[in-house]
Amino acid sequence: MTTTTQSSSFAPVATRANERLMAAALAAFLGLGLVFMAGFSPAIALHNAAHDFRHAQNFPCH
Amino acid sequence: MILRLLSAALAAGFLAAVVATGLQLALTSPLILEAEKYEQREPSRAAQALPPTLPIVLAHAGHDHAAPDAAPEWQPAPGFQRMAFTGLATLVGGVGYALMLGAVLIACGREPTLQTGLAFALAGFASVSLAPSLGLPPELPGQEAAPLLARQAWWVMTAAATAMGLYLIGVRRSFIAILGGLVLIAGPHIAGAPPPPDSTSEVPAALAAQFAARSLAIGAVFWAMIGLGFGWAWQNVGPARRRHA
Repeated sequence: MTTTTQSSSFAPVATRANERLMAAALAAFLGLGLVFMAGFSPAIALHNAAHDFRHAQNFPCH
Repeated sequence: MILRLLSAALAAGFLAAVVATGLQLALTSPLILEAEKYEQREPSRAAQALPPTLPIVLAHAGHDHAAPDAAPEWQPAPGFQRMAFTGLATLVGGVGYALMLGAVLIACGREPTLQTGLAFALAGFASVSLAPSLGLPPELPGQEAAPLLARQAWWVMTAAATAMGLYLIGVRRSFIAILGGLVLIAGPHIAGAPPPPDSTSEVPAALAAQFAARSLAIGAVFWAMIGLGFGWAWQNVGPARRRHA
């Protein structure tokens, strides 16, 4: 009985913390991917497309 | 939570990109176009300056090493297309930075608001704009610099170390953490950025200085908009609305 009470009061907190970290990890991964694509990708076409943005935002470009 | 984070980052990235694209097109793109005139002129001038006793060097001067019949590299057409791609790249970068800002706020257990968004965004600006620019000032096309990979590696290392250092100082706040944070922030600059080669550039110094200053100012506005936009969007857009309804 005590166990049930404990699990019902702690489970949502644990789930929320888990969800928080999962969301943060996913967002960080996606964000790094987008920033890499805009600022660092060595593909010539991507470099040329993002050229002026890279210079303006101080990414090493050439 | 995930949906709310993604939608807030999309909204913040979009808002920041609209403002930063306008500033870039008005302030930095004209300087880049101006510098490209010197960049294109440089090889021919170099070729002319070479003494006639070095025919082998002269034969290669001013050309890249692509096969003569290779397809030309794609690049946006001058004018509207180039401006549109600058805007698109700013949007991609802005959403990327907003996602990372949101991830850090959430991971640190801070409720995203205008205040926390702005505070963490200023740390982001210090990490990816200010700190790397101390060793590698924003450069125009045609300026001489160290090899690209070395600069990119130093840039990433400096940004990561500065961000970690600011986290230790601003969030952890114990004596040891602050000490470690200072070491992390100073470390990359003590180690030193890859030095540029000893040669002069055709790009006028005044143009380069103006570009560096404008670039940093735009970076500050870009990040401030990302932070404020993320805090505002987290409170007002998408799933949050439904939750409060």
